[in-house]
Amino acid sequence: MSYAIETHGLRYRASRTFEIRDLDLAVREGAIYGFLGPNGAGKTTTIQLLLGQLRPHGGAIAVLGRRVPKDLPEILAEAGYVPERPHLYPYLSVREAIRYHAAFYRSFDAAYADELLGNFRLPGDQRLSRLSKGEMGKLHMLLVLAQRPRLLVLDEPTDGLDPVVRRDVLSALLAFCSQRAATVFISSHLVHELERVCDWVGLLDLGRLVAEMPMEAFKNGIKRIRLGRAPAATDERPFELVSRDAGAGGETWVVRGWQPAMVQWFSGAGGEIREVEDLDLEDGFVELLRAARSRGA
Amino acid sequence: MLLYRYNNTLRHSHGGQMFRHIDPRSPTPLYAQIANRLRVAVATGELAPGASLPSVRQLAAEVRVNPATVVQAYRELERDGIVDSRQGAGTFVRELAEPKRAAERQREAVRLVRSLLAEASALGLTADDLGQAWKRESGGGGR
Repeated sequence: MSYAIETHGLRYRASRTFEIRDLDLAVREGAIYGFLGPNGAGKTTTIQLLLGQLRPHGGAIAVLGRRVPKDLPEILAEAGYVPERPHLYPYLSVREAIRYHAAFYRSFDAAYADELLGNFRLPGDQRLSRLSKGEMGKLHMLLVLAQRPRLLVLDEPTDGLDPVVRRDVLSALLAFCSQRAATVFISSHLVHELERVCDWVGLLDLGRLVAEMPMEAFKNGIKRIRLGRAPAATDERPFELVSRDAGAGGETWVVRGWQPAMVQWFSGAGGEIREVEDLDLEDGFVELLRAARSRGA
Repeated sequence: MLLYRYNNTLRHSHGGQMFRHIDPRSPTPLYAQIANRLRVAVATGELAPGASLPSVRQLAAEVRVNPATVVQAYRELERDGIVDSRQGAGTFVRELAEPKRAAERQREAVRLVRSLLAEASALGLTADDLGQAWKRESGGGGR
């Protein structure tokens, strides 16, 4: 299996109080990888490390099979990046901005840029300073897609955009991905948006990777189990216990690595299940964060 | 309403409508939801024999799902003999015998009834309550 992004023991101390610690990322080639985490988790810092904008204090980074920072020119030629706060010269027109961007990338596809310009209904002769926020969001996606990159790194690409623009931007991204074997690394705190799009998720909190798994495993493997009677105390469980809470009606467990047949384990251990509840990505995300924080505390 | 057109050969302008019930939060995987919706469309005649399914690119963009999800849905339909995939040409609805279509419709009906029963039972409604409502709504409702 080859990876578009791989880090080992990545470490970066941003301040006295915040650091990226022991970060091991493995983003498969061809994946649409959702890099999730609350605000301040270190998502943008990690992305800046991956693309050589910050120098790590330890660990190794490989992007598109090449080493960072040694091979950055080759990597950046094949990687499309939309930063959290992208910069474009406001006095350029849309078409000028496209030509300007094109000059930096040998792989830039002007015909495709034209097609996207039409699809996004962007005004080609308008100055950027007069574009709406939504139009700017579309323009950034246009520029990065027309590069025809092997890897797209998108830092909160739809943050602050209205739902219609978000849809348009995501649709264009997906149309691109279905025709190219590109890898997409997309950071967001908007969990719902990524739920239907991503096939892998990584969850970052307080500079640490809390979980990394295929979306299917995330959605099917994490359950909230309401118990009528808790099983006898034991450390031997066929699943991973993420958290347990004692409530009025009985205990509630959140488990990871769940399979339906594990119901039998509960009765075997003298427990009684009232309900096995599916968690969506957002619920699962919140539960994993809570558990990671209580372990860390 | 179509979000926007990627090219003018898009025949399935109802694609967005057709899949508006796709729910990423459901425990049923997205690919299975898409496959199921298409299966029903074939069974009810909404998609006629020979009709072409949208390309992976079109459907992924319209429904906003991972292209691999669409590929998986199409593969399942092909395996079940509902569609034919022709290299380079696209994916087409096969001519299904009426008994098979009836069986598919029945399958979907059972699924609907099951989810109705589950919801009713969670709310504490009895079969009697449902039966009365059924009679009233399907009888003189006029809708």
